[in-house]
Amino acid sequence: MKLLTLYNRVNIITTVIVMLITGIIYYQAISWILNDQNDKALKVEEDEVFDYVNLNKQLPQVFESKDQQISFTEAAPNSIKREFINTDYKKEKNEYESGRGLISSVTVNGKYYKILIVESKVETEDLIQIIFGITIGVILFLLLVLLIANRLILNRLWQPFYAILKEIKLFNITDNREIAQTTTSIDEFVELNQAATAMTGRARHDYKDLKTFTENASHELLTPIAVINSKLDTLIQTENFSDRQSKILTDLYSAVARLSRLNQSLLLLVKIENRLLTDQHSINLRLLIEEMLIQLEDIFNDKKITITTGLTDKEILASPYLIEILLNNLIINAVRHNYNGGNINIQLTAESLVIANTGATVALPDDKIYTRFHKSSSSDGSGLGLTISKQICENFGFALNYKYQSPHHYFTVKF
Amino acid sequence: MKLLIIEDEEGLRESIEEYFNEAGNICETAATYPAAITKIEMYRYDCILLDITLPGGNGINILKRLKSNNHTDGVLIISAKNSLDDRLEGLDLGADDYLVKPFHLSELKARVSAIIRRKMYNGNNLLVFNEISIDLQAKTVSVHNKSLKFTRKELALLIYFIANKGKVVSKNAIAEHLWGDGIDLADNFDFIYSHIKNIRKKLVEAGANDYIQAAYGMGYKFTGQ
Repeated sequence: MKLLTLYNRVNIITTVIVMLITGIIYYQAISWILNDQNDKALKVEEDEVFDYVNLNKQLPQVFESKDQQISFTEAAPNSIKREFINTDYKKEKNEYESGRGLISSVTVNGKYYKILIVESKVETEDLIQIIFGITIGVILFLLLVLLIANRLILNRLWQPFYAILKEIKLFNITDNREIAQTTTSIDEFVELNQAATAMTGRARHDYKDLKTFTENASHELLTPIAVINSKLDTLIQTENFSDRQSKILTDLYSAVARLSRLNQSLLLLVKIENRLLTDQHSINLRLLIEEMLIQLEDIFNDKKITITTGLTDKEILASPYLIEILLNNLIINAVRHNYNGGNINIQLTAESLVIANTGATVALPDDKIYTRFHKSSSSDGSGLGLTISKQICENFGFALNYKYQSPHHYFTVKF
Repeated sequence: MKLLIIEDEEGLRESIEEYFNEAGNICETAATYPAAITKIEMYRYDCILLDITLPGGNGINILKRLKSNNHTDGVLIISAKNSLDDRLEGLDLGADDYLVKPFHLSELKARVSAIIRRKMYNGNNLLVFNEISIDLQAKTVSVHNKSLKFTRKELALLIYFIANKGKVVSKNAIAEHLWGDGIDLADNFDFIYSHIKNIRKKLVEAGANDYIQAAYGMGYKFTGQ
């Protein structure tokens, strides 16, 4: 639920409740006051009757008044209790309005009379209705004003919040974009902004540390690997090796080659992530792929893999170095995870490059294949090839997708 | 040929020196920036192997110094920094080649040979080894003046062997030379064998000596003087 919705809901409910209670109290108060007014008028009339009776020793004449009626009826002595009542006021024949009455008594010439004075309450009620109407009107108007005001104020007040939120959403640990400072005088938002900036700064710093570590570690490893490599090259010049020794040397070579490739891959990843390889050249992918296929011919032949292609001209703007690595990784993967006598199909269109290869008859775990050092148990690769490929694609705004549709594994680069 | 190896890592420096030290070669070494400067101020070399990160200074400055003094020594940068900028900067400043650590000594030798060939036999693109002659420009091979058909890779491999004649070259080094170090197909080097078989067959059929010997299953050796 949006903050505004929640705020409005709470606000409106409380306003309506308060207004209703006020309305009821208001209504009661006005009713009471107006009733009191009526009662006073009735009392004045009663007093007039008493005065008249005192003076003239007879009942006053009953005459028709517009909004007051008096009637005298004989009653048993002392049977009448003086009280105010709500009663009907007979306006005309068969037409009644609500009225207020006073029942009293008077004794004239030894005769006991009940006095009933009734006043029309129509005007009073009209008044109450008008007042109530106005009150309701005011409530509705107030609600409307509140709604609009809330919307405006909240939107404006929360502007810095949304600005900060947008900044946080845009935050990417790998780029160097800082969280922009949002200008606001609201302490909470200033604090939020500071906290966001500090947090992202810390995250970026840690990430940079980690990257620097990876880079330095890989760099430091290069020299010893280079030494081992060169010493091996020197060692094999000394000749006269037994079969056992040459086997050991061959294994050593393979291990060092693997170590060296792993190291190169790590360095490459750091570089791509640091956006250090940003040179852009126009590359004709068709030509590049064709050249690579010639280059790798022996390797296909070795595994008796059939290559089929459908290549259209496609120019892209990217780093040739990285694109070569990307293509190399994808094609070599298609060979490595293939079986002897399998096939590879490469389709290049203006929208995408699809490399399909036969291989194991189970789909790869789509969510895991791009994570570092994830590899199938049978793979002898570094486990970084697809991670690097994915990074390269992201670097140039391409999408790298995988799907399995028996019998082919498809890797698609969408431009 | 006369070489200067500027490399601070002792193990690597010694290996390179040993690999290059053969009849007709003079190898000098420098382990620090000042030592290297002293050497290049006093002597001229056919090729200088230059490490970029040196104690006491940046190898790039040595290159700048050479160029500003109009010295024509060949320069091959060997660096642990495989950054494209570095590579471009080095080549822009007039280095002849750039090799990234770790590398095979045979690869280094092949690169150095190519640099020296370009320097010494300016315009003459003929590489002659006994009865075999290779026209590097036209990319053709002939034995006893009889032209042979070589594929691109076979030719590359032959040139590589000649540059490393008398040395055992490992299969790993050959694979990396021919397919780049992106090749990660582990220990299956059967495809190297078929190339070597082809080269041997073509050369022997044309009447050349059989120079290529298998060495203990680890690699191959191009024999002969």
